Amino acid sequence: MQVVRLSLKEANKIPIEADDINPDNFAGKTEEEIKAIQVWYGNSQYPLGEFFNVKIEGSDSVENTKIVFEGDVSRVKRIGQNMSAGEIEINGNVDMHCGFNMRGGKIVINGDADSWLGCEMAGGEIILNGNASYYVGSGYRGESCGMRGGKITINGNARDYLGEHMCGGEILVKGNVGLLPAISNNGGKIVIEGNATMPASEMKNGTVIIKGETSDLLPSYKEEGTEEVEGVTYRKFVGDVNVGGKGVLLIK
Amino acid sequence: MSEILIKNANVCDPAQGINCETMDICIKDGKIVESVSANAKVIDAEGRLTMAGGFDGHTHSAGKINVGRFINPNDARKNLVPGLSGQVARTEKTRAQVGYNTPNTYAIGYRYAKLGYTTICEAAIPLLAARHTHEEFKEIPILDKMGLSLFGSNWQVMEYIRDKEPEKLAAYVAWGLRASRGYGVKIVNPGGGEAWGWGKNVSGLYDPVPNFDVTPAEILMGLAEVNERLQLPHSVHVHCNNLGKPGNYATTIETMKLFEKVKPSRDRQALHVTHVQFNAYAGTSWRDFETGAPMVADYVNGADHMTFDLGQVIFGPAVTMTADGPVEYANARMLHEKWSNQDIELEDASGVVPLFYSPKSFVNAVQWAIGLELALLVKDPWKIMFTTDSPNGGSFVNYPEAFTYLMSAKRREEVISGFSKMALDRMVLPGIDRELDFYELAVMTRSTQSKMYSRPEKGNLKAGSDADIAIYDILPGQIDPSIEYAKVKKAFSGAAYTLKDGEIVVKNGEIEATPKGKIYWVNAKVPSAIDSAMQKDIDVKFKKYYTVSKANYMVEDMYLQKPVEIATEGVF
Ligand SMILES: [Zn+2]
Repeated sequence: MQVVRLSLKEANKIPIEADDINPDNFAGKTEEEIKAIQVWYGNSQYPLGEFFNVKIEGSDSVENTKIVFEGDVSRVKRIGQNMSAGEIEINGNVDMHCGFNMRGGKIVINGDADSWLGCEMAGGEIILNGNASYYVGSGYRGESCGMRGGKITINGNARDYLGEHMCGGEILVKGNVGLLPAISNNGGKIVIEGNATMPASEMKNGTVIIKGETSDLLPSYKEEGTEEVEGVTYRKFVGDVNVGGKGVLLIK
Repeated sequence: MSEILIKNANVCDPAQGINCETMDICIKDGKIVESVSANAKVIDAEGRLTMAGGFDGHTHSAGKINVGRFINPNDARKNLVPGLSGQVARTEKTRAQVGYNTPNTYAIGYRYAKLGYTTICEAAIPLLAARHTHEEFKEIPILDKMGLSLFGSNWQVMEYIRDKEPEKLAAYVAWGLRASRGYGVKIVNPGGGEAWGWGKNVSGLYDPVPNFDVTPAEILMGLAEVNERLQLPHSVHVHCNNLGKPGNYATTIETMKLFEKVKPSRDRQALHVTHVQFNAYAGTSWRDFETGAPMVADYVNGADHMTFDLGQVIFGPAVTMTADGPVEYANARMLHEKWSNQDIELEDASGVVPLFYSPKSFVNAVQWAIGLELALLVKDPWKIMFTTDSPNGGSFVNYPEAFTYLMSAKRREEVISGFSKMALDRMVLPGIDRELDFYELAVMTRSTQSKMYSRPEKGNLKAGSDADIAIYDILPGQIDPSIEYAKVKKAFSGAAYTLKDGEIVVKNGEIEATPKGKIYWVNAKVPSAIDSAMQKDIDVKFKKYYTVSKANYMVEDMYLQKPVEIATEGVF
C-alpha cells in the first residue's frame, strides 16, 4: 500500500488545475518526484510542491495507491481526472470536474463537490458525503454522451442537470435534485430518493426512479401502468416521445 | 534585402515540368530569383523533396466555420491527429490552439503551414456576412487568403437573369465582389437556397425557383456569362444541384455539359465543379446507392473545359457546412444530428451539421471510395484539385493520410479490407491499381490551383514567383511510397521547412515565425452608367428588405490585412 497525503500550504484563490493528481500518476513515485509534478495555476505551470505539503507512506502499484487530501480543496479542480484504479479521499470540499473521465478506482469526498462531478466517467465509483452542484455525471458542452459507466452516490442533494446526456452507469442521490435531471439521457440508471423537477426531458433510453415528489412532469411521457421495484410500486411512464424515446421514468 | 540559397533541393515543380530533379533555389526579398550573391543565407535541403507551398483551393476556414465551432464545442477537445489537432498551450511563438475539424483561427494558420501549405481559398463568403469572414482572415496567421462570394440564390442575380439584363448583372457581381472583397463567383445548389426559404428545394437544372421564374440552368449560364464578361481570374465555382442524393451523378454531368458552350475569357477552365465526391452518386435510393464516379470520370476525361476538386472523405468525425440549406436539413433528420440553419436574407441559405464517417457504414465506405476513384480514374491530374472540402469530408489535417491513399494501392487495400461485402459491391476502387507519384501529387495540390485561380506567382517555383516553398523529409529516389506510406504520411505531416515569402515559418515540423498573410480580392471595372443604374435597384433592396444599410454592408479597407487588389476590365 502507498498512501500519499496532500495538504494545502495555504488556501488558494486562483484555482489549481490538478489534472495530474491521480493514483496512476503517483504510484511508485517518491516524495520528491510527486512534488515536482507540474500543475496549472492561472496561466502558468508550477511544481505541485509549491502549493502542497506532501507526505508519503510506502510505495506500491496504482491499484494499491491512495491519495488523501487533508482539508478543504475547494479551489482545486480536476482531482482524479482520468484515474483508472486506486483511491482518492478528500476530507473537505472539492472544486469542479472531480473524477472527470474516471475509468476505475474510487473517490470518496467528505464534503461538498462543485459542478461537473464525475463527468463522462466510464468506470469506478464516486461517493460524495455532502452536496453536489450542477451537471453531475454529465457530458461536456456539445458531447452526446456523458457518464458511460461506474457509479456515483450522493448522500446529500444535487443541483440542476444531474446526469445530462448519460449513456450508462448509475447515479444514486439520497437527497433532492434541482431542475431537469436526466436531460437528454441515452442509457444508464438514475435513482433519486428525494424530490425532482421536470425529470428526463428528451430521454432516449435509460431508467429514472424518483422516490420523492416529482414536480412539473413533462407532458411528453406516456403512462403505461405500474412497475414494482424492491417492493415499492411506481407509476410507469415511457418517453420522451418528442425524441421517440424508450426511456422508463418511475415516479410515485 | 534578404537572400536565401536552398541547396540540393530535389525539386518537383510541374509548372516547369521539373520532376524530382536536384537543383538550387535562389530567393531574394521574398521572391524566387535566378541567382543570389555569396552573402545569401544557405539552407541545405540535402536532396529532400521540395515543392512550391501548397494551395488549398477549397476550404471552409473562415466565416461559416464559426457556426461549426459553436454548434460543436466538443470539437475543441478532439485530438485525433496528434501534432495537428487538439489543445496546445501557448508558446513563445504561437498562441493557444484548440480543435480538430473547427480549430481556432490561429491553429488553422499554424497547421496548414506545418503541412507545407501557404495559400487557402475560403469556399463560401455570404456577401452579407463578409465582414465576419475577413475578421477571421485577419487572425489566421502565415497564410495568404482569398475567398469566393456566393451568388447562386441571390434575389438581384435572379431578377436580372429573369429580366435579361446581363450588363446590370455584371455590374452587380462586380459590386458584390467589391462589397465582400471576394475573389470569385461561387454558386451553391443554384436556386436551392432561395427555394429553401419556402421549405423546398430545386430538383434539377430545369426546375424553376419559386417566385423568380428562373431555372438553375439559367442562373448558371447567366453568372458564367458575366464571369467571363468581367474577365475574372477564376471561373464560376459550382456546387451542383442535388448534392448528396443517390443518382445525382446525372445532374453533375448535365451541369458540366452545360458549360461546354461557355468561352473562358482567360487561359483557364470555364467551370470548376467542387467536391464532386458528394455529387457522383448512382442508384435511386440509399438502398441501391452505388458509385457514380466511373461515369463522371468518363465524361471528365473527354472534356477540356473544366476542373474539379474531390471532397475526399476521411473516416471519423467531420462537420458539414454549406450554403445548401436543404441538404443540411436532410442530413440532420437522417442522422439525428445537431442542426444549425441560417437565412442569409436576400442571398442564400446556410446550414451546419456535424457527422461521423464510419468505415462500417456501407454508404460512408462507398463515399470514401468515390473520392479516390475520381482522383484515379481521371487521367489528367491538371483537371483535379485535391480537397476534403475541409471540414465537410474531414479536416485538412488529414491531407497527409489521404495522400497515402492516392500514392499506395497497398494502403488502400488495408482500408478496404475493413469494408463489408455490400460496400465492396458498390464501388470500383478495389480494381484500380494506379498510384500517383510526387509529380502528380504536386499538380493536384499546387499547380492546378495556380492555373485555375490565375495566380501565376503561386504554386510554382519559377523565377519571379512568391518564395512560398515546402521541403519535406523525403528522398524521392530512395523511397517507394506504395510501400513506405507511413514515411510519406509522416513527412507531409510536418514539413522540414516551410517558407512563406522567403521567410522560414516552419522548421522540422514546428512553427518558427508567424508573419501576416496577404488577402487577394478582385476589383472588376464596370462602366459607371451601368453601375449607377444597378445601384438604384439594390438601393430599393436595402430600403425594403435588408436588415442592414448599404453603408454598413460593404467590407471596408480597415478589414483587410495586406490586401492585394486584382483589377480586371469588364467588357461591355
Ligand atoms: Zn465546400
